[in-house]
Amino acid sequence: MKNLNLLTALLLISPLVINASDLLIENGTIHIGDGSKAFVGDLYIKDGLIKSIGDLNVKAKNTIDAKGKIITPGFIAPMTAIGIVEIGALDVTRDDESDYLNMGFSIFRGFNPNSTLIPWNRSNGLTSVITLPQQTSMPLAGMGSYFILDGNMSISGKQDMVMLGKMGASSGSRSEDLDLLENLITLGKLAKTKNYEKVLESPLAEFFELHLQDIAALDKLANKKLPLIIETNRATDIKHLIDIKNKYDLNLILAGIEDAPLVLDELAKSKIPVIINPMDNIPNSFDELSSSLELASILNKAGITIMFDSARSHNYHLIRQGAGNAVAYGMNYEDAISGLSKNVADVFGIKNRGSLKKGNYADVVIWESDPLEPSSVPTYVFINGKQIDLTTRSSRLKDRYIKKLGKN
Amino acid sequence: MKINNKIFTLGALLFCITIEAAPFDSTYIAEPSATSLLKNANIYDGEGNEFIDYDLLIQDGKIKSIGPDLDSDIENVAIYDLSGMWVTPGIIDLHSHMGVYSAPGVKTSSDGNESTSPVTADVWAEHSVWTQDPQFSLALQGGITTFHVLPGSANLIGGRGTTFKNIQSNTIQGMKFPEAPHSLKMACGENPKRVYGSRKQAPSTRMGNIAGYRKAWIKAAKYRENMNSYESKSDEAKEIVSPPTRDLELDTLAGVLNGEILVQNHCYRAEEMAMMIDIAKEFGYKITAFHHAVEAYKIADLLADNNICGAMWADWWGFKHEAYDMVQENIAIIDQARNGTGCAVVHSDDAIGIQHLNQEAAKALAAGNRAGFDISKARAMKWITSNPAKAAGIEDTTGSLVEGKNADVVIWNKNPFSVYAIAQKVFIDGNLMFDRSQPSSKPVSDFDLGIIKPNKSRTQ
Repeated sequence: MKNLNLLTALLLISPLVINASDLLIENGTIHIGDGSKAFVGDLYIKDGLIKSIGDLNVKAKNTIDAKGKIITPGFIAPMTAIGIVEIGALDVTRDDESDYLNMGFSIFRGFNPNSTLIPWNRSNGLTSVITLPQQTSMPLAGMGSYFILDGNMSISGKQDMVMLGKMGASSGSRSEDLDLLENLITLGKLAKTKNYEKVLESPLAEFFELHLQDIAALDKLANKKLPLIIETNRATDIKHLIDIKNKYDLNLILAGIEDAPLVLDELAKSKIPVIINPMDNIPNSFDELSSSLELASILNKAGITIMFDSARSHNYHLIRQGAGNAVAYGMNYEDAISGLSKNVADVFGIKNRGSLKKGNYADVVIWESDPLEPSSVPTYVFINGKQIDLTTRSSRLKDRYIKKLGKN
Repeated sequence: MKINNKIFTLGALLFCITIEAAPFDSTYIAEPSATSLLKNANIYDGEGNEFIDYDLLIQDGKIKSIGPDLDSDIENVAIYDLSGMWVTPGIIDLHSHMGVYSAPGVKTSSDGNESTSPVTADVWAEHSVWTQDPQFSLALQGGITTFHVLPGSANLIGGRGTTFKNIQSNTIQGMKFPEAPHSLKMACGENPKRVYGSRKQAPSTRMGNIAGYRKAWIKAAKYRENMNSYESKSDEAKEIVSPPTRDLELDTLAGVLNGEILVQNHCYRAEEMAMMIDIAKEFGYKITAFHHAVEAYKIADLLADNNICGAMWADWWGFKHEAYDMVQENIAIIDQARNGTGCAVVHSDDAIGIQHLNQEAAKALAAGNRAGFDISKARAMKWITSNPAKAAGIEDTTGSLVEGKNADVVIWNKNPFSVYAIAQKVFIDGNLMFDRSQPSSKPVSDFDLGIIKPNKSRTQ
């Protein structure tokens, strides 16, 4: 092979293994993740935590010179199937669907810390994710969990910390679906005072063949502020969901919202955070006719809290590319970084992660260049202050075949 | 092989006689274009060159000249000062389903797979295309000037694909790229065997797939022989025998055997691609490109040796088993195979991806160079311009900024390998089809018109 320098390649992809229990990262361009302007400075990691940050005068056991490199929090993807779907078209490798539960379905024990999606997305800058079930029941499906992508067999994260829902573009009437959503929340409210068995006797619960797990989930949703992500696009649905959020005091997050510019003021006033795919400008249903590449910018200027989703399965790290496109079309750069990190932690109540704040877990990524350029990859990834091996199944395949080139 | 080729050429000539002015031929004629001089631009010419601070002259719809400090003393010339901006050929997507899977993606617009029989060489994707698909305009705004629309991959042999210019027309004929050859879509692997196997019908296995292709080619070879044998008769002899009955399916396959129709073969796995190459040799046709080709890197030299392009994604994987072995270096490895004689194409197969092929190329380039290759951006630009033009059989008229080619040109605000680069102006045949500084220049399809607000178009 012409031009192939394996030694260079090895040097590039295998940074020295660092003992990160006492590590100073020096002279990097640091994005805290909280929307503040980046600065050149140092980050000191001690015993898995961010011990200090700024212009430091610290003697550490290990140092990394990050001059000219970018330092960000580990990114958090809020809508993935990481750990519960290995191969999309093979249902025997999927654990994202329930045969009998509705909103009470938990994917937590389906999570596979050995999934190949974990090293892949981690080596591309994701350090933790929210994993969601499939939307198999309308309008509320099951619950998602939060996972730290350390790949450890003892799973760390937060179990059943969000419920998934959907509104519109179905074969039934959205009017009925909105009605149903309210009735289900009301059923959840009942669970505050009545025991679950009693709630199960209601005609609605019987009609949907709900189980105890479903009632328990509705109880969390209606009475304990369980975050609820509803995927929806049409402007009228967004309006009605804002009303429902206010009426029942829900912890609501809206996803998709391609028609949001039509109800921008109401949405901004509602303070509802949103999850969008900034690259999806396809009017792919009659619910999303206002879709455009300017959506992120429009929402950002209205002061709405933004997080990111990407269109493709498996490559959830491409939320970075989405954020880059959002910036290209007018979103504030630092807000885009927050959308990949702190916003997710704040919205979903993930404590001590999502920003490079003193005392937070050291989920830190050092980038060779601008992380919003999809061509950029991390040089180092740390989770809980531990350096992550950036080897992936894909990099193993690449190494195997690159050696064979030109030999047959 | 040499002797065979001669026979095929002869066959092709004879066969052509039977085909008169073909139905559905392109009726596209470029509008008269203004003379435009692009000054002080940074240029990737699509041939592998980078020119800094160069000029490009567009005249009569063609690239007239490219060089430093071109004479601007020309009558009626529109001069664009592009200091710091980038110019590339119009971007070409070799794998699109725009028009056959239009937006909105509702069931009435699902026209890409004639999945009623494993061999449907008789269907043509262009007969499904909806001229008002709003996705065309979005692709134009991403720099796409030409795209190849293929049938889907449900069938072993899915039908003909067609190359289009990204212009507005109310007829398919008006959009078709003049004189571009048709392609034949073939598909390996999981899709055909899943679709038909689930109906307890052949093929239900990969070996069933292979048998299916070979049976079809045996019929096609016989048909072609009958056609040629009839055509080679004297006029007197023709009067006493009736001509063979035309068969739409076999017309298409014979067109491939005659070298008039290019094979675009959906195929993920290495061993399947190698078998498809053997089938092509068995029946004497050529595979132009393997599409998706997630495992192309495992047989990169074989593809280069057989002059077959790989049309690939930068990073899609895992949605099915045959897409599990993705490496981001795939495109670079194909490009660099056999001392850089390989042919790599970055394709989209996606209405969002088609708008950002430059970003996909950027990912593939960066991955390749991280792996130790030394590939320039100028060379990587070929992956989305001249290489897809070659694989679509239109490289003589578009795909690079050389004198005499169609003036299909994109002006970018930044280096197009950056996520922040946005296409500013897009020319097709020298005509300014989209100008970002003039929002009213966005092509508006009939679908977009008055659909949210009666007095506005959808993207306003």
